[in-house]
Amino acid sequence: MTSYVLFLLLGLGAGSVYSLLGLGMVLKYRSTGVVDFAQGAIAMWGAYVFLRLRLTGKLELPWFALPHEISLGTGMAIVPALLITLVYGTVLGLVVFFLVYRPLLRAAPLTKVCASVGVTLFFEAVAVLNFGTTATSAPPVLPSKAFVISGVVIPGDRIWIAGIVVAIAVALTVTFRYTRFGLATRAGAENEMGAALIGLSATRIAARNWVLATLLATLSGVLITPISSLDPTSYTLFVVPALGAVLIGRFESFWITTAAGLGLGIVQSELVKLQTVFTWLPQQGLSDGVPFLIILVTMSLAAKRLGARGATGTLRNPSLGRPTRPGATALLAFAVGVVVLVALHGSLRAAFMASIVTVCLALGLVVLTGYVGQVSLAQMSFAGFGAFVLSHLGHSVGMPFFLALLISALSAVPLGILMGLPALRVRGVNLAVVTLAAAAAMDALVFSSVKFTGGLGGRKIGSPELFGLDLGIAKGNSYPRVVFGVMLLVVVIGAGYCVARLRTSATGRMLVAVRSNERAASAVGIRVAPVKLYVFALSAFLSGLGGGLLAYEQSSVSSSTFTAQASLSLLALVYVAGVGRIAGAVVAGIMFASDGLFVSFLDKTLHVGQYQTVVAGIALALTAIQNPDGVASNMAGERGPGPRVAALRDRIIPRRHRPVVLDVPGQDGAFVEDVAGPTPVSRA
Amino acid sequence: MGQLLEVTDLRVTYGGVVAVDDVSLHVAEGEVVGLIGPNGAGKSSFIDGLTGYLPRRGGHVEFEGRSLDGLATYAVARRGLVRTFQSVELFDDLTVEENLLVAAERPRLVTMLRDLVLPSRPEGVDDVAWARMLCELDDVAHRYPQELSHGQRKLVGVARALAQRPRLVLMDEPAAGLDTEESLAFGRRLRSLPGHGVSVLLVDHDMGLVLSVCDRIVVIDFGKVIASGTPEEIRADEAVIAAYLGGVDARH
Ligand SMILES: Nc1ncnc2c1ncn2[C@@H]1O[C@H](COP(=O)(O)OP(=O)(O)OP(=O)(O)O)[C@@H](O)[C@H]1O
Ligand SMILES: [Mg+2]
Repeated sequence: MTSYVLFLLLGLGAGSVYSLLGLGMVLKYRSTGVVDFAQGAIAMWGAYVFLRLRLTGKLELPWFALPHEISLGTGMAIVPALLITLVYGTVLGLVVFFLVYRPLLRAAPLTKVCASVGVTLFFEAVAVLNFGTTATSAPPVLPSKAFVISGVVIPGDRIWIAGIVVAIAVALTVTFRYTRFGLATRAGAENEMGAALIGLSATRIAARNWVLATLLATLSGVLITPISSLDPTSYTLFVVPALGAVLIGRFESFWITTAAGLGLGIVQSELVKLQTVFTWLPQQGLSDGVPFLIILVTMSLAAKRLGARGATGTLRNPSLGRPTRPGATALLAFAVGVVVLVALHGSLRAAFMASIVTVCLALGLVVLTGYVGQVSLAQMSFAGFGAFVLSHLGHSVGMPFFLALLISALSAVPLGILMGLPALRVRGVNLAVVTLAAAAAMDALVFSSVKFTGGLGGRKIGSPELFGLDLGIAKGNSYPRVVFGVMLLVVVIGAGYCVARLRTSATGRMLVAVRSNERAASAVGIRVAPVKLYVFALSAFLSGLGGGLLAYEQSSVSSSTFTAQASLSLLALVYVAGVGRIAGAVVAGIMFASDGLFVSFLDKTLHVGQYQTVVAGIALALTAIQNPDGVASNMAGERGPGPRVAALRDRIIPRRHRPVVLDVPGQDGAFVEDVAGPTPVSRA
Repeated sequence: MGQLLEVTDLRVTYGGVVAVDDVSLHVAEGEVVGLIGPNGAGKSSFIDGLTGYLPRRGGHVEFEGRSLDGLATYAVARRGLVRTFQSVELFDDLTVEENLLVAAERPRLVTMLRDLVLPSRPEGVDDVAWARMLCELDDVAHRYPQELSHGQRKLVGVARALAQRPRLVLMDEPAAGLDTEESLAFGRRLRSLPGHGVSVLLVDHDMGLVLSVCDRIVVIDFGKVIASGTPEEIRADEAVIAAYLGGVDARH
């Protein structure tokens, strides 16, 4: 019994961190409407700053070029180091707010999410450059003297940290309820006028909240390092359970968020204990996975109580494209693709292939987020599932590749439908968080299975074959082979063609109708729930297909490719590229994908090399600020290259003269003449 | 002649506020019935309660002799009882034509799967063309809703309802935003609907329109029926004049 209590108390450590991060996220959300996925990365950075001050007396700047350290003498005591770190956190909060989030205050929630992913990538990458990837452990900050209460030895630091968290939650609650600042924040969350009426500038209130939240993140970083060793990536993942706590607190309540965060930590810790008691329990990933399952299930069941700002349908929709002449465009794309494949060699050709694969993954989001306005942060989990299924199919030699791909893509469909279930109840940013929890659960529970994923080493993939013909990316010394690229082009352009035609079909109209207005959709007899499940299934199919292609392209798959973070990055780059149109998927794959053609080209010519991720993070945040509607939507505008490409296409592949049904405005719509004036038949 | 729609003691509340207080109303096959009342009388709430957009706190609705109790909104529409919205609510990402098509088509799962590989040509084009013609939307078929005037958008809403070939349309202020001329033309077309097998329940503030096209008019105020009868009877009704017509005059 006593050991259960011990594990309960041990869980307070992680739980406190979830609570602290969660409190900061609630602050940010209430004041600016940003769900800040970068909160964990900021905590990580704060932890490094504090640690370096204590150990070496150097102040770390969030930059990678020299000089990024300012020496303030030798190692410091806890108090001065903490004070400096907190001042640092204040400045950091202000800078990030005014550089990134201030310009985005009125942007769509997903645009803000993309910017925060950019910020996450930036800090992670700079930390990797400056501090390396190996984990560091830190000296204790809080008194760790153990208490002994009725025979149970209680680690003192956990009690301290939990006490601090509760104190902060109380302070925040009181501040928000009784001070002018709190009142103004609450009023500002309702509408900007509200804050103005109280006589405070909305921006200033948002900035103050932001700084406060940044300080909380920094503090959680400082407090957690002695308990959990520090490295650049694992801290950023703390946002997932923290977001779970925030969700349970409905993006609003400090109290519930704190309790939920602590609770999650305790549940995780007790699960570790249970694993040792009940050895039949899965030994891998249980403590990481179960909390997410809890979030997933409660959120799917907790009907429509979620009423926080941005909770109901405020996911402003990105602009939609309208494919014209998909057949001709597909042929042209194929021709251009083959030329590029042949023209490029070596690493650039491989990068082009990686781009094509990303286009396929991106198509899944175009359908889901673009056409129907749903969000999923689990796309890479679907892809991973497909990829691993493919790896298990590899044994049956002689199976044509398209059959293998089809099976792996279909295998992701049930997962997609499962993911669609919460979407029937929660929307917008809440849905994003729920799907992220699902991705984290997949990471922990499915992708940790050595049997399924081959553990750290991953699994080998056989070459794709077609009737005895080897279409693999490598054969003997030749790599990457053009024939593999052609296979990729056929599959992905085929998928894109189908998606384009779907858009203008009866089903496509229904999808867009649901995205535009669910109320009105049901008034014309559309049943919304199956439509959503359908699009989640389709999106999972495309992701599974992309996963299968990715597996072929890399010749082996490992679970590290399909993390929740990878899904987050994918959504960010597709969204920024323009999620409402197929061109956006192409831009995402060719221009933005970190292993894609454009980035590799930059790497080769400008030798950005190790700085690539830093640049990518900055670019992502900047692009989000510059093009809240997606890059491809600008291209499709009057002056961009879009019309020129269309004109070129029309010259190469002339438009056949046939009645054009439902064409874009301004083009010849023979439809009107075709069916004008039929005699209406009475049904009575 | 059997009743198409039979509403008995319908009750709709917002928290403690009773918006529709035991209203009974019926529409016979081929009728155009007006439902009028001052602002806030409960007309929109009546339609919401009828079609399942708001929960019914009491009462019973029968359509074509079958109960509508417990039916979801989409299912009500599929039964042939279709509504328009006072706040228009078009699909802004679809053209006018597509707005009508999406209402006429209602693809089933088989179609949804086939559209993935071999998209079908639009179904229901006849219904769409008919609805478009009735509402005189041919000129704007390929425009987006946001490019249209308010009056035209309302007409698109009506056309979208008609494209479903309903048995009964509940129109919530369809003529708001039309000028007198347009309103007259709209009234003539509305009058022709019963000939096509479509009955109408018309909610509108345009008294000229309502009095000229309706076979029968029901007047509500504060959620209660205060009068019902032919246009002539309503015109002469003391209670209506007191509660409503006088109010209109005062407002203008
Ligand atoms: N969402 C709501 N919450 C609370 N009360 C409401 C709500 N909607 C309407 N009401 C109240 O219900 C009553 C009926 O409103 P309703 O919109 O049905 O009237 P109406 O007859 O359609 O008016 P109008 O001619 O202005 O459209 C009014 O008193 C209104 O204030
Ligand atoms: Mg109304």
